Amino acid sequence: MIRETRRRGAWLAATVLAAGSLIATALPAYAETGVSSSEIKLGITLPLTGAASPGYNKIGNAMNAYFKYVNENGGVYGRKITLIQKNDEYSPQLSIAKTNELILKDKVFALVGPLGTANFTAVHKSVGLAKRGVPSLFLNTGFSGFAKKANYPASFMILPSYAMEAKIIAQFLKENHAGKKLGIVYQNDEFGIDGMGAFKAAGTKFDVTVPYTSGSQSAATAQTWVSQLAAGGAQVVVFFGVTSATAPLLAVAAGAKYAPQWILGSVGSDPLTLRALGVPVAVLNGAQTPAGNPSPNDTSDEYVKQFQEINTKYNTGTAFDDYVLQGMNIGLMTVQALRAAGPNPTRKGLTSAIETKGSTFASVAYSPLGYSKTSNVGHTGYYMAVMDANGDRKPFGGTVKLYTTDSGSGPVVLSTFKRPAMPAKGLPSNS
Amino acid sequence: MKNFKFKRSLTLIAVSSLLSITVVSIPTAAQAAPACTTANYVTTCLGATTDSAPYMLITPANFNGTVYLYSHGYRPNIPVPAGIPGYGGYTVTNTPEPAPGGNPQVIGALLAKGYAVMGSGFARQGWNVNSAANTNVELIGIYKKQYPKTTKVIAWGNSLGGFQSQYLAEKYPELISSAGVLCTVSNAPVVSDKAADALWLIKTFFDPTIKAGNYSAGTAGYAEAMGDLVKVFTVIGHFQAAIAADPIAPAWPATSKVPDALKAIPSRSALILSALLVGVPLQSAHFDGTSAPAGLPAANALSFQLAINPALAALENIANAAALATFQIYDLELQTGGTWYDNTKTDWAARVADERFIWASALSGESATNALLGYLAAVPKAEGNPVARAKVAGLGTHTGITKVPTVLYTGVADPLGTASEQQSIIDKYDAYLAQQWPANKNAAVRKRPVNNQLALWGIPAAKYTKFTAAGSPDTTVAAAPGTNHCNFTVAQYVAVAELLAYAANNGKNMSGGPLLTKLRKAGNMTYDRDYAAPRNKN
Repeated sequence: MIRETRRRGAWLAATVLAAGSLIATALPAYAETGVSSSEIKLGITLPLTGAASPGYNKIGNAMNAYFKYVNENGGVYGRKITLIQKNDEYSPQLSIAKTNELILKDKVFALVGPLGTANFTAVHKSVGLAKRGVPSLFLNTGFSGFAKKANYPASFMILPSYAMEAKIIAQFLKENHAGKKLGIVYQNDEFGIDGMGAFKAAGTKFDVTVPYTSGSQSAATAQTWVSQLAAGGAQVVVFFGVTSATAPLLAVAAGAKYAPQWILGSVGSDPLTLRALGVPVAVLNGAQTPAGNPSPNDTSDEYVKQFQEINTKYNTGTAFDDYVLQGMNIGLMTVQALRAAGPNPTRKGLTSAIETKGSTFASVAYSPLGYSKTSNVGHTGYYMAVMDANGDRKPFGGTVKLYTTDSGSGPVVLSTFKRPAMPAKGLPSNS
Repeated sequence: MKNFKFKRSLTLIAVSSLLSITVVSIPTAAQAAPACTTANYVTTCLGATTDSAPYMLITPANFNGTVYLYSHGYRPNIPVPAGIPGYGGYTVTNTPEPAPGGNPQVIGALLAKGYAVMGSGFARQGWNVNSAANTNVELIGIYKKQYPKTTKVIAWGNSLGGFQSQYLAEKYPELISSAGVLCTVSNAPVVSDKAADALWLIKTFFDPTIKAGNYSAGTAGYAEAMGDLVKVFTVIGHFQAAIAADPIAPAWPATSKVPDALKAIPSRSALILSALLVGVPLQSAHFDGTSAPAGLPAANALSFQLAINPALAALENIANAAALATFQIYDLELQTGGTWYDNTKTDWAARVADERFIWASALSGESATNALLGYLAAVPKAEGNPVARAKVAGLGTHTGITKVPTVLYTGVADPLGTASEQQSIIDKYDAYLAQQWPANKNAAVRKRPVNNQLALWGIPAAKYTKFTAAGSPDTTVAAAPGTNHCNFTVAQYVAVAELLAYAANNGKNMSGGPLLTKLRKAGNMTYDRDYAAPRNKN
């Protein structure tokens, strides 16, 4: 009887062992937070509601739409991507709380596209991203400070920095608006300061300077901006702020019949969002703007065409604009980064993969990517564009003239860079 | 079943016996043996140590050999005249406190499990680290003499009492088996400077007639200190009214003497900057630093979220810091014999290198921040007496090196910035551990040092500000968890006590699933080894 039991026990143990080894071979090994045999969890914080949300609130859904498309086409090495969006209402305090939720409760593998300069500064400092080793991919902010690798070792920018943008606008002003009275309205924080420092270094002198405090933008405050600009006789006005501030500025200026040549910074110039916020299309007509991507209406562009198709199917009912394009592109970049990290991704491996291979990733933007072992700089340039009577954006002078530069004292140069082709069917196959 | 009934009845008895204790006269002179009375299976002993600190020992009939030594927090060592908000009518007391606030539920829970509790009221109030340590050491001896069955002593305490408990763990590890360091303050110079910075900033921005130190001798100095307290609360009261009247651009106090150009900046931004410079959190008992009332237009709501709510949080928190500062400055000037506060070398701008970006909206932008910091750089500084200042350092400092298990716990939005104080103890202990492993190897000891420090945090909810139907902030509701000074529930205190008992019995802290389960049941106790609170600014 004893012998019988022992035999049965041995048989049972062998079966369990065999089953265990089967499981071990059938499923990819994983030992990283946010990665299971079937899923990779990612997280984003952004304003989904509130005054700062118009436009920004589309980015997460656009990323998600792209991930759904990838998931339906096999995922990343068989794993499906899940994106968890958290609404921070553009409040840094809330960004901290929501990011803590993403990391500690939802246990995401990485952050992708966290939005807002003050927000990410707060998160990085308070959540301890560096200590935790949580990668932050493709930040939705252009603050050049985030490119400091020593301070932000596992954070990667995607947008050209605000300093780069200002340098390119400064060059454009010299070439096209010399001798005119210049005005600028800028967000009076690190966003605007980043740009103002670069304008100063480039020798641009503004005759009228109007700083505004983030969060204070409204029709009433815009009234004071317009009064100052008009009183100062500004003929060309650069706007360096967010869309929720561009809209009242343009609307109030139009009401006051003040019509300078507008140069709208890339952050606050999406025509569709501005029109949704009540800016008449006629006001936008002729406005000049630096742009990194093709127009979202340019269906001759292979990226735009593919993303529009994905948007139609997976983001039904959402108008395709710059924000949707940006969200989809972050999705595309993320999938390439995950693939580059290999079949068993780790947080360290993901960071290393972007450092070593990120500069070759396909991206909708025309300019080169600056990733390397010593740099977490994203795209590095802009072309100047002008809005037409339909609110569409066309290259200034008819063709894309791409300028690249850095956030420091490097020159602004005309680039001949050719961006990589869109992966077949929009599905990366890199490794 | 019988046993359960016994324990339950013991709990109830303990509660009632504690209540009766308050009317028992407490000896104020040292005596050879405490006076004890036993009722309903609980023996309460009252006595005084050789330095005349009254104490209380409460021991259940089923004493299991472990006693909790509680150290109470800061009590001002001067009376406060009636009529002063918050503290008015306070008289100096050294009533013994054998558990946090003498809470009968906490005491009952411990007695029910066979633990004893004890605590003194200390011989002197105010900053009393050295004196309190002597009292505590003597009290441990008294207890052991009274109850020779004693096998373990667990030290725990709140605020300055947290300091005392950490101090015991560092200096007298042979006397205790574990230590609970709750909402603690750290070194005398750090906590004192922090408080004095708060008062100096209020004086500089809002009322230069505040003396903020260098008080006269005798009753004149006392009157000056109380005068400062009144002025601080007058400034606070002004802000309450001014923000209610015009949250976007609240008026500066009439007492402020800043240049008119500076007064073009909303006064709330100077308040926020003061909080940031000191390290006072921008989440408070009732203000989460992010909520807005329902029904506001979107643009106004954003402004309320980014600028107004944090200002109200700063207001609520900084009142605590500035009031403490008045007591602390006065007390330490008496103890050191001179003006010890000195900010001649303070680099205010460096203190907000990151925060000025994070809170740019609340600070009314970069230009305003530069203007306010420029003003601080330009005005005359407070210059201290080096001898007095050196004496402050001798009033108690932590090394962070403990040889017994410790449990640290604080709210991250404690208005006195105790999260950074707790963090400083963690940092010191980490540095000690980092040195210990190479030292072990050099000594041919193949054993990594065990991390015996369990750091817990009370983290406020993302949103908790309540608004009335009219849209005004409702400050009548209870302070949110993770905010206010030492704002812990009975369940949290009991959980800490149980963790300390485990540590005392096992020589190491609880970990893994049992720890997480205990914390979850107590509520709002977070264990996260990767969490780091902001560091002290000074």
